[in-house]
Amino acid sequence: MTQEEENIIVPGRWDLPFRHTAGRIASHFFHALVEKRIIATRCPRCRRVLMPPRPFCERCFVPLDEWVEVKQQGTLEAFTVCYARFTGLPDPPYCLALVKLDGADTALNHLLGEAELEDVERMKETVRIGMRVEAVWRDEREGGIQDIKYFRPLA
Amino acid sequence: MSAKVAIVGIGQTALRTSADDRIYHEHDYEAARLALADAGLDRGDVDTVICSGWDAVDGRTISDMHTAMSSGGYLKDSSHVGEDGIMALAYAYMRIAAGLFDVAMVTAHGHAESSFETVSNVVFDPLFVRPLGQSHLVSLALQANAYAHRYGVSDEQAAGVVVKNRGNGAVNPRTHLRSSVTPEDVLSSDPVCYPLRALHCPPQSVGGVALVLCSEEMTRRISEKPVWVTGIAWAIDSYDLGSKDLTSLSSLSSAAQKAYGMAGISDPLRALDLAELHDITPFHELLAYEALGLAPEGGASRLVEAGDTARGGRLPVNPSGGVVCGNPYGAAGLLRAAEAALQLRGEAGQGQVPGPERALAHGMSAPSGAAARTDCVVIMEGG
Repeated sequence: MTQEEENIIVPGRWDLPFRHTAGRIASHFFHALVEKRIIATRCPRCRRVLMPPRPFCERCFVPLDEWVEVKQQGTLEAFTVCYARFTGLPDPPYCLALVKLDGADTALNHLLGEAELEDVERMKETVRIGMRVEAVWRDEREGGIQDIKYFRPLA
Repeated sequence: MSAKVAIVGIGQTALRTSADDRIYHEHDYEAARLALADAGLDRGDVDTVICSGWDAVDGRTISDMHTAMSSGGYLKDSSHVGEDGIMALAYAYMRIAAGLFDVAMVTAHGHAESSFETVSNVVFDPLFVRPLGQSHLVSLALQANAYAHRYGVSDEQAAGVVVKNRGNGAVNPRTHLRSSVTPEDVLSSDPVCYPLRALHCPPQSVGGVALVLCSEEMTRRISEKPVWVTGIAWAIDSYDLGSKDLTSLSSLSSAAQKAYGMAGISDPLRALDLAELHDITPFHELLAYEALGLAPEGGASRLVEAGDTARGGRLPVNPSGGVVCGNPYGAAGLLRAAEAALQLRGEAGQGQVPGPERALAHGMSAPSGAAARTDCVVIMEGG
């Protein structure tokens, strides 16, 4: 074995098919999105409205079967704008946001659109935590989280 | 009081950007050999090995089991954690404290055969979150922004944390990035995920870390420089980013309270002589000060500005340079424990804090960044 020998690199990639079941709770939520309605489950014990809906409350540890419809407007709780390009992630810039919809007690992960993202200084002036946002729907809805195209700032 | 357990061997390989001359389990092997030599033991003395690894990062499933042989585990008791190596330390502690074993080997490695941001996307829920482009760094940036917004943490204050740690790393030959930076360097570095800039973000480092843990009886027999684990605890918080208060680290607070109780600490700022924290971003070092009770909520940046956490300050934090200087993903938390133990032995070199007696090491095990965060706190004292 000599020092000059080249180290061999074997390329690899994972491309594994799955069928992820949404289960009865998330399926009900996704069916509602097709009809442009956003629904959540309410905990019978702590009374929190959990968005996205889930089958149990992790704090009270009780099953959830009460449904409530929440508003399509809400408040931007947190956001980040991704300016770097990472393999497999969306093209930059994109804004990932946590939106607390009116009527919900937890925030939904989603994208912020129709905002000025290209220039950081301009973005800082126009996108702010606490700003009001609303859901923008896709025309073709298939029963998935991206039936909501993104949230946009409310004028 | 539970049984006493000591760290009696420390092994660290060099940290670097890539290592095409070896397969990743060789990092564990080299670190394990170094830790055994440091302890004055050989493979035959080891009763149990606890390995760690993240499947997607390593590019094979159950990668934490693959490293059992490179950790000295042939035909021995072994367990594995798909977590940062700090949790392997926790497992090893329990196995010895339970009285089942005398000597445990703990190993962890980081490598860089894929981008951590790319593979961390698959940690996230495929129904609600993954398609949106969520990742380790993206989720940490969301948290950094929420924290900075709530308490008015400025870009300059965040830069101050980086400048402190990079300055410490500049004199640590064991870390990866060994050059200091100025506040201007940090403030003018490229935006990555707002508010995070390039110099806020840790490198993806390649290398291995290993520790040998021992029962009290065995330690008294073989070690002249034991580092005793006097408190250790861990906690996990919600998997869902939208279900938690992003402006605090609740899992770290919970772990710290338990570890302090075990070690008999009521005033950590006074009781501790140094801390090695998992500063995955500068904002998260500040969040950690608050969760550890070193500063009031929103008050962490003042500690940095006052120089309290600088190497010569009241409580030096990350005298090794921290994660921003050296970040083997999956081993960065265990590396905090290794660096804190070196300090207590007085063997940290140019970065040595004068005469420390009690140290805190904090490791975060969360490829999902701010979501489903597990924090582990280890209190250790010199022999």
